[in-house]
This record gives sequence, structure tokens and C-alpha cells, in this order.
Amino acid sequence: MAHRYILAVDYEKCTGCHLCELACSIKHYGVVNPYLSRITIITKPEIQASTPVYCLQCNDAMCARACPANAIYFDDKTGAWLIDYNKCIGCRECVYACPFGAISLTVKAEPIKCDLCGGDPECVKVCPHGAIFYGPEYEVVRKLKKGKAVGIVYEVLEKGIEVPAGNRVKEAEEAVKTLYRIWEERKKLNI
Amino acid sequence: MYGWGGKVIYVDLTREKVVVQPLSETEAKMYLGGRGLNSYRLFKMVKPGIDPLSPENVLCLANGVLAGTALPMTSRTEISSLSPLSGILGDGNAGGEFSAILKHAGYDQIVITGRASKPKYIWIEDDTVEIRDASDLWGLKVSEMVDTLRDIHGDDIAVAGIGPAGEHLVRFATTMIDKYHSGARGTGAVWGSKNLKAIAVRGTKGVEIADPETFFKLAKEDEEWFKKNEFVKKIYSVIGTHYGLLAWHPGWKYFEKYLGPEELPEGIRPVDLAKYEVGRTQCFSCPVSCKDVYKLPKWNEYGVSSEFESIYALGANNAITDTEAILKMEQMADEYGMDVITLGDTLAMAKFLYEKGIITDTDTGGIPLRWGDAETQIKLIEMIAYREGFGNKLAEGYRNFAKIVGPEALKYSYDVKGLSRGWYHVDFLNGIFTLAHATSTRGADHLRGRSWAYWENDRNMDPELPLKLLEGGLPDYRKDPVGALIVSERACTLTDSIGRCKGSINSWPQAIPLVWKYPLFKGLAKLLTAATGYEFTEEKLVEIADRIYLIEMAFNVRQGIKKKHYAVPFPPEIINTPKIQAEIKRHWEMVDEYLKRRGCDVETAVPKRETLKKLGIEWVADEIENKEFPEWDGPPLWPLDKYPRGR
Repeated sequence: MAHRYILAVDYEKCTGCHLCELACSIKHYGVVNPYLSRITIITKPEIQASTPVYCLQCNDAMCARACPANAIYFDDKTGAWLIDYNKCIGCRECVYACPFGAISLTVKAEPIKCDLCGGDPECVKVCPHGAIFYGPEYEVVRKLKKGKAVGIVYEVLEKGIEVPAGNRVKEAEEAVKTLYRIWEERKKLNI
Repeated sequence: MYGWGGKVIYVDLTREKVVVQPLSETEAKMYLGGRGLNSYRLFKMVKPGIDPLSPENVLCLANGVLAGTALPMTSRTEISSLSPLSGILGDGNAGGEFSAILKHAGYDQIVITGRASKPKYIWIEDDTVEIRDASDLWGLKVSEMVDTLRDIHGDDIAVAGIGPAGEHLVRFATTMIDKYHSGARGTGAVWGSKNLKAIAVRGTKGVEIADPETFFKLAKEDEEWFKKNEFVKKIYSVIGTHYGLLAWHPGWKYFEKYLGPEELPEGIRPVDLAKYEVGRTQCFSCPVSCKDVYKLPKWNEYGVSSEFESIYALGANNAITDTEAILKMEQMADEYGMDVITLGDTLAMAKFLYEKGIITDTDTGGIPLRWGDAETQIKLIEMIAYREGFGNKLAEGYRNFAKIVGPEALKYSYDVKGLSRGWYHVDFLNGIFTLAHATSTRGADHLRGRSWAYWENDRNMDPELPLKLLEGGLPDYRKDPVGALIVSERACTLTDSIGRCKGSINSWPQAIPLVWKYPLFKGLAKLLTAATGYEFTEEKLVEIADRIYLIEMAFNVRQGIKKKHYAVPFPPEIINTPKIQAEIKRHWEMVDEYLKRRGCDVETAVPKRETLKKLGIEWVADEIENKEFPEWDGPPLWPLDKYPRGR
């Protein structure tokens, strides 16, 4: 059986810059407008929560179940649930049915949802922090696991510090080292 | 209109009237947007010699022609008015989401005049613009205010507004954008004087681009550069401007000395600050996460964006090394809405004067001002925000505070045109570096002509980049500092006018898109042509930048700025040494050369008619030629008991 392709976001890596929203609206409509994006970032930086809301392409999709016109179908090739706009009657049941609020509406109240860009998602390419993954399920899940594990290990190492996410100090130390290295390289160039 | 929102909002608070007018094509092409549009509007609308805190002052907010497009880092709001801190042109440039969302609602500028009889806020939702009652918001701290507005209007809004410091007319109160982004030069006090608490906006229309294919291709190329750049990825996105603590030699104990990277005491090193960090964030559409989110366990509170400036001004310059306390002060400055640089430097100056005996316990109301005393400083910050006790005097801000104390204190005010010189070495001239402070149109400032000297001091740029740029027609700052400065000033003016971030990696070449590919302004010209559908060229952009800069100079001429105000300050102890005297001589030579090349009269520093005519703004000459304006000496200060005080 062929592997299922999935799109997933590492919430801890997302900083909430909204570039994926812009890329999505450009890809599908050629304009810059977060309200026409199929991925939405809800940010609350003070508690470091940037939560991307996007279609999870459920195995048993509530939107497809709710659709009275049977307009939502599964595309085996990309692993996306797609809307057949020839069948869609614009009742918006899918919007209400989705447990995650992942289906948006255009100004004409047409439902829009993530179509995984036909297998080449634009948001994955634009994300500056590599927080969005797309690929076969085993690969994506592995990447998420690894990201989480590294965080946990650092936290254990830095137990002495009573603040969350102790790996920040390690990262800062690395950054300072890089700074000194760049200075050294500059000196050699003699400019 | 493509690229632009195409509309300007005029709000008269006295009559509670809102008028929305289309942005004229000519204005758009001549001034682009952002700082250009603001400075032009202020020159047209602000009469010379008015009190900055009177209803006659005008407050402008503008976003820039490329704001809210998919070009990375286009998230800057320019907030301009006649500054209550300096008494000349004052504009702050802040990040956040406000700029982009205002554009998505279809607007390029908001112009606010008059004074409301009761606290008000402005609500903008696409085509709806309303003045609403803000009695419930008045008195709230910035984060409380933003949260309340989000409760009312939903969490997809952006908010610009003020905290208690702005309400109490603290002269260095800032306009706060989306909680943590601050636009300085005292614009916050102008909001307060107008009884305006906030502007909240929701925009669902987006931006239309004339030639999307070309534009998004170029925007992508630009973003790729940031993604690949090692400095951005490994340093700037990890420790943000904290790296400046190592690179920029922050001042210690009111500039008693400057700390090299090895001398930094424990507590204010980047690694110490990282201990309190819980995450990173940034502004709208920016791939560089330069802002830290930190937690203060002692207070069980969070804060965002502890920049280099806050750590140096509130910490090092006051000899405070308690990391958590410094972060707390930074968070308080955000909550009350105050500029950290002026705040920190004013406090440090007060401590210095106290040590010298120029001010005593009688002046401070019995509060001892000791170096390194974090607890008292936290108390003082609160007193400043509410203008309580000694805080009332400090709230007048750096030079104004010294002026109140007396001439003995004024000698130690290291300012240019009323603005503190920040962390820059006051006791040495670095040619272009200092010249940039003297020629800045809003007073001493590190972001007006981010000069090529950064290359020397800020050893972090891609080594290949400046060489490529030099090929592209940038004068070598070592041989021709004045020429290099003028190019820097043009770059900064354009950056502010398109709405892009200059701080993105702390040098202007990155702020002008695609510099590495099409040297200097050619890449920007391509982007603007693709975005707007109008033909832009490098030459046209240079002309636009000069037009904006000269309008700003003319604005300051009307406020009484003479040539002598291009001087830079020195500590009185060293000013008469031969070394410094030689430096000063060189400085004035450079100022003369600068004024000549800018097309100004070398004796009076007034822009010449022929220069203005060449730039298509001869009408500006009618306003300043052969007229006498009273010499500038800071803004008119009120009697201390006239300000709103207490909670």
C-alpha cells in the first residue's frame, strides 16, 4: 500500500509571522490577503502560542459527512479532501461541521479548504523556520518526534534553571560562538 | 490603485468628524507612503511655533507602499507629529501587525487633528471608520487595553495606542503597536493631549498587485537571501539584538566607560538573558524572529522583545546587572508606553547629577539615586509614568529634565536637537557615525542614516556584500564620508517610506530589497514598478528620497533649527583637549560639505530654492525663505503642576 502523504506543523517552531497565510492566498488567488488563506495563524506571543489552524485531512472527515451534496471527496494522489465546486451548493455545513475550524469562506461565502496545492504545498516552502512538514507519514512523524526529543533532552541537562525550555541558553551560547567566528573570518579578510 | 490602499482617513477629534479621501496619485508618486507621506502632510498642516501638546498639533500614522504585501518585513508603521520631546519633527517607526492590517483594510494614512472632549478610540473595519467612547479604556496599561479591544472586536484586529504614560503626557511616551512595538519621539504624549487612547483596525480586503508574477518572484528571491544568510539564521533569529551587547560597546554608568565584549558583567550577557527566554516571535510577514518572549518568575509575568537598547539603557548605563529586574523594567516601559532609550538615559543622567551633587535629596523628594539600585529604579519608572513626585520632573525627558535642573546640568546633556545620543560613544568622533547624528532630521538617532560606519563597528555583515555594493555606486565611507552618509540617508528614507524594517539585521543594505542582486535602489525600483504599475527607476527613487529629506529639513527650519544645532555634544571635562578640538573642526568641515551637497545654504543650513525647485517642491521655499524663526531651544515646557498627575 502506498504511503499516505500528510502535512503537519510543529507548533513549537511556529513564531507566528503569517508568511504562510500570504503565500497561500497568492498561490490560490494572486492577491495578498490572509482572509483568503486556507491556513490561519492564531497568535498569542506572550505565552508563546502561535497556533496554525489548517485542514488535518482527517481519515473520517466530518466535512465530507456533513456535505448534503456529496461535494467533498478524497484525492488518493495528494492525500487531500477536495471540494468539487460543480456540486457544492454553498450551504456552509462543512464549515460548521469541521471540529477545528479549518474551512474558511471567501467574500462570496464560498467554502475554501486546504488542497495541499496538488501535492506541492506553498506554505511548506515559504516557512522561514521549517515548522511545516509535508511528506509520507512516517517521515513527517519522525521529524516531529525528533524536534520534541531534542527539547526534552536540553531541559533535563539544564535542570538547574527554573524556567521552561532551557535549550534557549544552549542556543544563545551557540549564537555567540558563531558571532565570534564571523568576526575572526572578517579579520582574516582584512576589511 | 495597486500596491497602495488608495485612501487616507482624516479625523477631526474636536468636531468628532471623519472624512475619508482618496490618496492622490501625485502625492503617492512623489512621497511613496509611510515616512514620506507623513513628513509631507506635517509640513502642510502643522503651523510653526505651536505647542506640540496643543490641539493644533497633527498626528499621522502611515504604513508604506509595500506594507502588507508578501515582501518580507513590510510591517512598519510610521507615526509622526511635532515632537513634544524635542520640539522638532518627531517620528517613530514601529513593527507589529497594525501596518499590514491597515493596508488590508484599504488605507495608507490616518491624519488626526484637534482634541476630543472625552477619551475616544477609533474603530476601523474595512469601509467603516468610527470614533467611539473610550472611557473604559482610559487608564489601562497597554496589554490590558489591547486585550479589552480584542474582547470587543475579535482577536484578528491590530491596535495602536498609548498606555498611562501617554495619558499623563510623559514627553517620551511612545505609540505602542500591538502591545510590544514602540514608536518613539514622544508621539504617545500627542495621543494623550488629544484624548485619543487607541486605533483598532480589521482589514479583510487584502492588497492587489499590478504585476503579481514579477512581484512575487522578486519577493521570493529576497526572502531566500534571508533564509540562507548565516548571520540571520544562527545569530539574529536566536539572540536578536542582544548580540549588540557584544558588538556595540554599551555605555556604563552614564557613559563613564564603554564595555567591550570581554568586559560585560555577568547578568547582561546574551546568555544570561537567554535564561529567561521562553520563545521567540516577530512582526507580520518577517522571517527573522528577532524578538524574544521572556518570563519573569519573580513577578510571574511575561514580556516581549527585550532589545539591546533596553538592556544597555535601563541596565548597563545605570550600572544595574540584575537580569530579571532589567527585563521587568523593559516590560514596564512597554506596559506604560515609554521609550526605553530616553527613559534609561534620563535615569542615568539623574543618577550622575546626584552623584555630582548638582541635584540633591530635596530635588528627588528624599529618594536616593544610587548606581545599580534596581528596586528604586523600578519605583521611579512607575512614578514617571504617572508623573508622581520626582517622576514629574524626569517625565519631561532627557534634555528638558536637564533644562529644568539648570545650566550646570545642561552641560551633561549629550543630545543633538533634543534627543539623547543613545549608546554612542560621546567622547569620540567616528567621522560619519557622528555626522549621521548631527544631520538626522529628528535629532540624534541611529536609524536616520544607518551609516556605512556600521560596517566598521558592527562586524557582522556578509563580507561579500559591501564590496558588491561599492561596485554599485556607493562611495567609500573612509574616503568620502559625506557622500556615503547621503546614500545611507536616502536608503533609510526609502525604507521608511515603503514600510520595511531597517532593524531586520541591523544595517540598511538588507532593508532595501534585493540590494545584493541589483545594487542599491534598482531592485527596489523593480519591486515598486511590479507592485504599483507605475514606472520607477533608481534615479526617480533618489529624487523621492531627497524630496522627503529636504521637506523634513525645511520643517525643522520652521521650528528654529539653525546651523549651530548640527553640533555634537562632548563631556565638558574633555571638550577643550586638542584631540577633541581637532575632531570638532573636522566635524564642522564635514557639516559644511554635507549642507553643500544637500543643496542647502552653508551658512544658515536652509534648503535653497533652486534645490527645492529641482525636486518639484518649490512651494516649500515660499514657507522658509527670508523668514525669521525664533531659535530652537527644545519644546515649550509646561509648569509642572499643569500636567495630569497621579493615578
